[in-house]
Amino acid sequence: MKTSAACVAFVSFALVAVALVSAQQRGQPQPGGQAGQTGPVAGRGGRGVPASPARMTFFVTSVGAGKGGDLGGLAGADAHCQALATAAGAGNHTWRAYLSTQARPGQPAVNARDRIGTGPWYNWGWAQRGDPQNAVISQDSGELHGDTLVQAQRGSNLFKQSALTEKGQVVHGIGDPPPIQHEILTGTNWDGRAFTDNADHTCNNWTSSTTGAAQVGHSDRIGNGSSWNSSNATKGCSQPALESTGGAGLFYCFAVN
Amino acid sequence: MTTMKSCTLGLCGTIALSGLLYGQGIPKPGEYPLGAKASPMMSFFVTSEFIGDGGNLGGLAGADAHCQQLANAAGAGNRTWHAYLSTQARPGQPAVNARDRIGKGPWYNFTGEVIARDLAHLHGDTPELAHQGNNLNKLTGLTDKGQIVPGLYDYADARDNDWEYVRTTRFSNRHEMLTGSQPDGTAFTDNVDHTCNNWTSNKDPEPGTATGGLNANDGRPNAQIGFPDRNGGGNGSWNSSHGTRGCSQKALPMTHGVGMYYCFATN
Repeated sequence: MKTSAACVAFVSFALVAVALVSAQQRGQPQPGGQAGQTGPVAGRGGRGVPASPARMTFFVTSVGAGKGGDLGGLAGADAHCQALATAAGAGNHTWRAYLSTQARPGQPAVNARDRIGTGPWYNWGWAQRGDPQNAVISQDSGELHGDTLVQAQRGSNLFKQSALTEKGQVVHGIGDPPPIQHEILTGTNWDGRAFTDNADHTCNNWTSSTTGAAQVGHSDRIGNGSSWNSSNATKGCSQPALESTGGAGLFYCFAVN
Repeated sequence: MTTMKSCTLGLCGTIALSGLLYGQGIPKPGEYPLGAKASPMMSFFVTSEFIGDGGNLGGLAGADAHCQQLANAAGAGNRTWHAYLSTQARPGQPAVNARDRIGKGPWYNFTGEVIARDLAHLHGDTPELAHQGNNLNKLTGLTDKGQIVPGLYDYADARDNDWEYVRTTRFSNRHEMLTGSQPDGTAFTDNVDHTCNNWTSNKDPEPGTATGGLNANDGRPNAQIGFPDRNGGGNGSWNSSHGTRGCSQKALPMTHGVGMYYCFATN
């Protein structure tokens, strides 16, 4: 524990120092700034439809719940999605967090993939700028999760610059200025379903900010392979533990309608 | 997964290191890393230079020779280099699968980072491996000169689609790698062109015959491509995302390619 505290302190220091240096060095648009690095095209919607945040059906939360892996359970996480969506002008949809929970006595497991409707899911870029491409995250759940071998080999269209927040921001990934926030909470196996072993993969079904661990994916598809939803486990469930490995307690939100 | 789980200092170190590297400046896409030499481990790279005649690479032999030439210049000429390209079956000439041309791995990039442990890891031969993915990504898919390949949103210049501009710079979006392959690394078995006529054609579709967008059609010169940065094309496949507008050098930049491809050492 002593080691890991020292490590966290060192990393925090290093990241802050680097942030100061790099902020001065880079003049180009930063991840975390408003999207539209090609220059926003205001008011021009895709396929002739007026641009509107109401068309958005997918985003990464711009902020976490603030208490590490304690999201207030699925209900709390869903409410967080809904609140962020509403603030962004997309409250017309019913939003669900892409999170699984594990089975407990008398309480069946919940699979993230079963919570998010049927798609297709569109990101902020399509809703606001009418991006002609790279804005459909996936047409359906099979494509999103790679249900066939060919689909799995190809991958979905969820990648660094399409996995935007509800504000149109790119989530900082490997190679970007710190803080890197690309570890996205899912608690989910590759196929979008809950883990069935006895280990904790969900910060005690999203109620723990102390013990346990959560499975994460990478919004930039970089880290222990290229999985968006199931790459590795966090070191713990506290907010500092999530941040120590390049996370922030962010999660994916999908509209079910 | 076990690595990440068991890692305390290691991962912290990696993140701190990335930060420090960033502070010192990870080269911008297209830039040559100053003073850096290819790792002696290097057994994979993206071609830093295009041949310049569209999909006509001089067949597999010409493409391999280009790999070998670039490798020689990078000090990696001690290995035997093959292009990651498939060719389709023709009368009296069997198909060649890209995955059967590149040895067994593991393959390492310019900086000595592993791209894939073996053929199954590279291609995702099982559902589990396919979901996990290999280690080829924007920061590891380096050229023989150590460059990150410019991709979507790096420079985002409208002229990125114009060969007359693209030929004058190495800082245009050029992340489409010719492969002519299916996601599993094998040749296509249908009767339409996915390989610019087995890498000998620089022809474009005849006017009026180019229906079907980027999909190959009967009689339509076309090459299947993938993305080292996994960004774009509706799926981000590294080796089999979609086709091209044609096989001329001018057609390739229309969808952000310049005729680059992957080279692997077989030994």
